Amino acid sequence: MIEAHDLELIYSDGTVAVKPFNLKVGKGELVYITGASGSGKTSLLKLLIGSEYPTGGTLNILGEPINKGNSKSISKIRHKIGPIFQEFRLIKGKTSMDNVKLGMRFIGMKPSQIEEEAQSVLIKVGLEDKLNIKVDYLSWGECQRVAIARAVARKPALILADEPTGNLDRENAIKMLELLASFRTKDTAVIMTTHATHLIEGHAHATYIHMDRGRVNIERQGKSY
Amino acid sequence: MKTYIYNFRYFIKESIDIFRLNLISNIFSLLSTGLIFFVLTLIIAGWNVSSSVTDAIKGESEISVYFKEGLTDAEIIELTNLVTNVFGVKSVNLVNEDEAYERMESVLGGDAQVLSFFEENPFDAFLEVGIELSEIDAIVSQINQMEKVDLVRDNKEVLNRLSHMSDVLNLVSYFAIAAVGITTLVILSHIIRQGIYHHREQINTLELLGAPKYFIALPFYIEGIGMTLTGGLLSLILSHFVLSEIYLQVSGPLPFIPLPDQGGVMQNLILMVIGLSLILGYLGSAFGVSSSRGKN
Repeated sequence: MIEAHDLELIYSDGTVAVKPFNLKVGKGELVYITGASGSGKTSLLKLLIGSEYPTGGTLNILGEPINKGNSKSISKIRHKIGPIFQEFRLIKGKTSMDNVKLGMRFIGMKPSQIEEEAQSVLIKVGLEDKLNIKVDYLSWGECQRVAIARAVARKPALILADEPTGNLDRENAIKMLELLASFRTKDTAVIMTTHATHLIEGHAHATYIHMDRGRVNIERQGKSY
Repeated sequence: MKTYIYNFRYFIKESIDIFRLNLISNIFSLLSTGLIFFVLTLIIAGWNVSSSVTDAIKGESEISVYFKEGLTDAEIIELTNLVTNVFGVKSVNLVNEDEAYERMESVLGGDAQVLSFFEENPFDAFLEVGIELSEIDAIVSQINQMEKVDLVRDNKEVLNRLSHMSDVLNLVSYFAIAAVGITTLVILSHIIRQGIYHHREQINTLELLGAPKYFIALPFYIEGIGMTLTGGLLSLILSHFVLSEIYLQVSGPLPFIPLPDQGGVMQNLILMVIGLSLILGYLGSAFGVSSSRGKN
């Protein structure tokens, strides 16, 4: 699913965001990317979603190479990715349903399927009474769940979540991590970044990518799904 | 293709949302586009009418050939035959003194009483010669050389002036189309760029979700084409009323002006304005979208 060899990212101003490392993530794996703020977690996620290109090494996602020369394939790769952005990136002025449906309109799903799937996922994340409320009127936590629903409803092969526990208290952060982990299936891998290492330590069947000033340290526990 | 069909309602709704985001500004832009197209329709209608009037007058070009006094009927017939054989002459008709008098009476209308001051009919008989306008110089020259001809009167100057006016109007129309085209493109691409700027975050998110370029751009194209089409329709409604009024004013008091059929003129306008609206709407949107690429 993901194969990285000597993958490296250096920004144009010379900042080394990700130092060379190798990684292999298979179907149905759960991967936590941890590290303090500025350690390079988001940069790595940007590489995985194709919004940054490797400056060194190679990166293959879902069988497609990620590089500048292959920018046309990136939108197709993204069809199979369910991203959950740190700041959610919901479309203001649109309802929860519309936001979720928007992410599904161009990936070959039929209108009836889109409607059905969007509704069922929103119910699954606990927003059954907020389906037709504009996201402008939802709380921070509710917006986060809409963002999760948008990512999951696309039936992605890979869910990428950037700091999903960011502004949550301990109890809600644990719930959020459990919710995201619950979307892992034999075909869907989940990768999330978090600086709340104390909440995920000892989690069985997961891969931990620890980042420190661009340096990557990979640790595997248990088996994949 | 399926994605287009499945998302048709979404694209329309998005275009309306984009339009509504800067409602007042966009309404004024729409009205400006309508007014620009209205000026264009008036010029095109004028061009259309003047061309067909000139063509009609050219088609009926005539010169009057006055012959020397005292010719016998046989000599007049002989002259008529000679004139008929001149290259470029389409018809020859003898107008006698009485018919010439009657024609002048009908031209003068209410002022015809001025003719009663003459003790005798002041008008001479003449040959009314229908000609090909392009051959006028050669025809006049040949007829002037005929022994029995006293005077040839042509309306060459009037015809040339009409022809010149028609040429000028042609030129003005081309300039008008170019001016309307450029102005519409500038207004439209600016509106589209504004729309894209206001939706930059949404566009960015859609790109990250893997939306293809056409999916992101289509609502902006629909907005652009919708605006020029609405502006075009607005101008057609206005020009229909204005043309009807002009036809009413001209065809009553000036019945001798051979105006083309109003329905035909409107039909030409509709085809031209709708065609231009579609082309300019598409191009304006394309410029707007392409010039915004890379900035967002």
